[in-house]
Amino acid sequence: MLQCIFLLSDSGEVMLEKQLTGHRVDRSICDWFWDHVISQGDSFKSQPVIASPTHYLFQVVREGITFLACTQVEMPPLMGIEFLCRVSDVLSDYLGGLNEDVIKDNFVIVYELLDEMIDNGFPLTTEPNILREMIAPPNIVSKVLSVVTGNSSNVSDTLPGATGSCIPWRAADPKYANNEVYVDLVEEMDAVINRDGVLVKCEVYGEVRVNSHLSGLPDLTLSFANPSILDDVRFHPCVRFRPWESHQILSFVPPDGEFKLMSYRVKKLKSTPIYVKPQLSSDAGKCRVNVLVGIRNDHGKTIDSITLQFQLPPCILSADLTSNTGTVNILGNKTCSWSIGRIPKDKTPSLSGTLVLESELERLHVFPTFRVGFKIMGVALSGLQIDKLDLKTAPSRLYKGFRALTRAGEFEVRS
Amino acid sequence: MAPPAQSQRSQSPSQPSGKSEVSDLKLQLRQLAGSRAPGVDDSKRELFKKVISYMTIGIDVSSLFGEMVMCSATSDIVLKKMCYLYVGNYAKVNPDLALLTINFLQRDCHDQDPMIRGLALRSLCSLRVANLVEYLVGPLGSGLKDSNSYVRMVAVIGVLKLYHISASTCVDADFPSTLKHLLLNDSDTQVVANCLSALQEIWSAEASTSEEASREREALINKPVIYYLLNRIKEFSEWAQCLVLELVTKYVPSESSEIFDIMNLLEDRLQHANGAVVLATVKVFLQLTLSMTDVHQQVYERIKAPLLTLVSSGSPEQSYAVLSHLHLLVMRAPYVFSSDYKHFYCQYNEPSYVKRLKLEMLTAVANESNTYEIVTELCEYAANVDIPIARESIRAVGKIALQQYDVNAIVDRLLQFLEMEKDYVTAEALVLVKDLLRKYPQWSHDCIAVVGNISSKNVQEPKAKAALIWMLGEYSQDMQDAPYILESLVENWDEEHSAEVRLHLLTAVMKCFFKRPPETQSALGAALAAGVADFHQDVHDRALFYYRILRYNVSVAERVVNPPKQAVSVFADTQSSEIKDRIFDEFNSLSVLYQKPSYMFTDKEHRGSLEFADELGNLSIGEAADNVVSSQRVEENDKDLLLTTTEKEETRGSSNNGSAYNVPYDSSTSVFASQTQIESAISNPTTAGHSQQASFGIDDLLGLGMPAVPNVPSPPQLKLNTKAALDPSTFQQKWRQLPIALSQELSLSPQAVAALTAPQALLRHMQSHSIHCIASGGQSPNFKFFFFAQKYEESSNYLVECIINTSSGKAQVKIKADDQSTSQAFSTLFESALSKFGTP
Repeated sequence: MLQCIFLLSDSGEVMLEKQLTGHRVDRSICDWFWDHVISQGDSFKSQPVIASPTHYLFQVVREGITFLACTQVEMPPLMGIEFLCRVSDVLSDYLGGLNEDVIKDNFVIVYELLDEMIDNGFPLTTEPNILREMIAPPNIVSKVLSVVTGNSSNVSDTLPGATGSCIPWRAADPKYANNEVYVDLVEEMDAVINRDGVLVKCEVYGEVRVNSHLSGLPDLTLSFANPSILDDVRFHPCVRFRPWESHQILSFVPPDGEFKLMSYRVKKLKSTPIYVKPQLSSDAGKCRVNVLVGIRNDHGKTIDSITLQFQLPPCILSADLTSNTGTVNILGNKTCSWSIGRIPKDKTPSLSGTLVLESELERLHVFPTFRVGFKIMGVALSGLQIDKLDLKTAPSRLYKGFRALTRAGEFEVRS
Repeated sequence: MAPPAQSQRSQSPSQPSGKSEVSDLKLQLRQLAGSRAPGVDDSKRELFKKVISYMTIGIDVSSLFGEMVMCSATSDIVLKKMCYLYVGNYAKVNPDLALLTINFLQRDCHDQDPMIRGLALRSLCSLRVANLVEYLVGPLGSGLKDSNSYVRMVAVIGVLKLYHISASTCVDADFPSTLKHLLLNDSDTQVVANCLSALQEIWSAEASTSEEASREREALINKPVIYYLLNRIKEFSEWAQCLVLELVTKYVPSESSEIFDIMNLLEDRLQHANGAVVLATVKVFLQLTLSMTDVHQQVYERIKAPLLTLVSSGSPEQSYAVLSHLHLLVMRAPYVFSSDYKHFYCQYNEPSYVKRLKLEMLTAVANESNTYEIVTELCEYAANVDIPIARESIRAVGKIALQQYDVNAIVDRLLQFLEMEKDYVTAEALVLVKDLLRKYPQWSHDCIAVVGNISSKNVQEPKAKAALIWMLGEYSQDMQDAPYILESLVENWDEEHSAEVRLHLLTAVMKCFFKRPPETQSALGAALAAGVADFHQDVHDRALFYYRILRYNVSVAERVVNPPKQAVSVFADTQSSEIKDRIFDEFNSLSVLYQKPSYMFTDKEHRGSLEFADELGNLSIGEAADNVVSSQRVEENDKDLLLTTTEKEETRGSSNNGSAYNVPYDSSTSVFASQTQIESAISNPTTAGHSQQASFGIDDLLGLGMPAVPNVPSPPQLKLNTKAALDPSTFQQKWRQLPIALSQELSLSPQAVAALTAPQALLRHMQSHSIHCIASGGQSPNFKFFFFAQKYEESSNYLVECIINTSSGKAQVKIKADDQSTSQAFSTLFESALSKFGTP
């Protein structure tokens, strides 16, 4: 079980230390860890599980903050890693983002949260809804209140009802004047297009996000028009398994507020919404670059925020790249980014120019990978469609909303 | 690597200023302590915050203990929490002052607000001061009976904390049995889960001294408890589910219908959003079905999709942990994942530790149907900006080639690498071409044509250079320029810094000399002269050896240096199947990530639960670091040894390749000291040839003056109980607990293989030798048996796992025994029984 949790800043300073068991872990472990990280160099992020001379260390890095946990006993590794991921999620949710300052300003809250999330090295609850009831987040309202009333206790007076209820994710009986529930399909398309322009891999990772503000204990059912296309699904604990098993219907009592109802994968898609065709030809110490971007098959929806990013190989001395649409930037670390935005009707966006190679080199041997970004509102590219959403005992006024969005995940085109 | 010094360093700059500020704080706290003025809580809060923040950045504020306690009389819960935090941190170093806090903590334990009751109880138990335990028992007892589940939950963990401070107090207060009652009856699942984790820890710790505790621990794994927990599993929090699932893996169902019930009940856990739950469930499924081969295979199919989703949708850290487990599974069942190879394609943005594992996965899943795609993909990585990954992927291509799939196409690719003119690509490819040629000499013609074009000046890395030189020597008859290239290399002898390269150069020149004497003669002379003068001992010795053998007899020298070689069929660096099995038993643990069973990387006291002494936690790291470094060094040395044996084998080629790898097995014979053991070793038919020589050699060394030992099996000294009985669950439990006493590979006679058309035949045969079968399975050509035997008139058991492959005629035998000292004797018995199988 975990013995200690440290939060380190991006310069390796210990911002927070939380001892969990009687076996104190000396802070010097952080110095060992930091030396280890530095010895691994920047380009190599070090592994999430490291064996130090005295402890096994789990580390998760988020927004420059390192969450470090130590243990001396054998334990399921994913438990350590998952827990640290949850800690970072909860903290960034509570503090409205993660950075060194915000943690230092709110370290008392961080301590309080850790106190409730883990005891004696064993994780208790990481459900944000429950934590929220035990420890109030430091929001603007409470700050104002504290100034006015002089009472800044950020601990709620009541114990969360849910710790005793059998639906751990739902607070007891919220009441709303307007009953609303919103369902969003958010999909990310991962694709790899190889050197020969062949679509090697194309799949969609999707999430069904629900934002529910419903009074009482609402029992919802959500069904899809074409559930058979889903390859693998994962559910929020609130989803009942049997209805899904037999009829592919999601039946659940939702947590209050926003949450991820399910995630899914759709494998082996046949096409991508846009194409990117890079051409590199080099001779005599120069390399000609020409990249074309266009819409492949029209979904009837506009494709927004198209971007293209690639790392110039280290052997390149200088680059001169221009485009007929959008802007091209070459950043300090030799990252070239081309933001196109929307594709104009009258022309095909293209990027062209020359790269000058190091003096001894004739030809280019290391080819960049182009990472593509885009966003399409109103369509789920996997083709998944929501059929209907029902509420068992519908309140008098209920508003239901559906949206869909697809964006590029790891979309890479190799050259 | 001297962290202690650094921790001082980080403190020292803030110390001078810190000190004055601490005394400042002390003063202010003192002023506030008695004050009842309005708004005093606010100023206190500010001060407390400062104290805690000093504590957090590592300034020692323990001198404020008294003042902090004085200020703690407050109704403000945030103040209370900060105070608890402070007290918990420093009570241990201030045991006398800690007494002051007991009072207000005990009072808070009776507060109206359950939250405060819980928090106070938690802090009280976190003081961890040994002479204050008497104050814990009362509040804990009432905490366990509290009407609010939050307080009970805290109290249960409090019991565990108390146990670690003073085990006797905890046991005397009869807390374990209270916990047991709560475990089975509490309505709140978090309380139940905490009871489970606390009881497991307490009873495991007690088990070493108390019979009863170990019985209680076993009782946790019985059917009613397991079923009770499983039926409520959905109510547990995700982390508590992991705990329950871990317990279920230890449960041995009595019949197969139970196995299916449990799997049906847990199936939806595979869909859980928390990866830790998914992995724990996977472990349950795999463990439950170990003895049911068919179902086990179906389980692989079932768990595939959830695991692959975890890999592609989680954070890189999660993917890493899951991929490590997948890697283990793939080794056991490569075909299951062979159609999903695209999941292991590397994405540009992934950290290298994920990419590296993915490359290993790609090598492992490669088979006839997907090799082409996988190799195409790997070749794209070779032009990757990330150089270590590019190297790694070239190596992966080589490994796939050595797995014998579609070698034709791969050789072409490798040769293309050589033409890429990138130094690291050339270097890696050269090493691979060398390995390839050792395994497939028939490709030499194509490879040599390309290798011949590589200028040795462009190859700098020792490994690659050594490979190139080896090829120059080995194929000098086919390479026009070989003698001249070697000659120029010899001329630059002094500039060659790597001893490995120089060794290879010597051997290559020798080989070349026997193939093309007139062209090489001068180079050989120069090489020998330079070698004899070399300061490196190995190089010097080898040069001298060559020189003398050449003088003694040139044709003998040729036979030594240039014998006909057989192609290498299996390279030695593959991990043994036993280690893989051990790691598999430790599925869902750190072992999998390190790819080593836990005994190879943990100290004994760190295995299992937190039983280690307190001092260990405070071990100065500098000291421990040395230990680790030295052990690493030992390991490296081991590897070096292995490497050199293979390298030497390769360069000398003196003996045929197969037997060289058997040597480590026989080295165990050198351990034998007593006469009886030597006898049994000799009667051991499989190791006959080697062990005989070895043991005779030892006889001389030990001066035992034994007469020539007759080469007949000695009569078994061990008598077995013909009517032994053991129930399956005891067997499984023992199998898990006992270490492997003996592990060996036996050969079966052709008659035995012929007789083994069905497992039953062997079972009857072994039964006639008082060795009973408890489980068997498998289909031709692979059979797996679990046997057991009992010593005559004693309850000492022997457990055997025997895996027979009828196509190779080999049997892998692992023996475990209650009484380790007789395991060798039993092994002899087992072997003789097995060897008689099939003979009429």
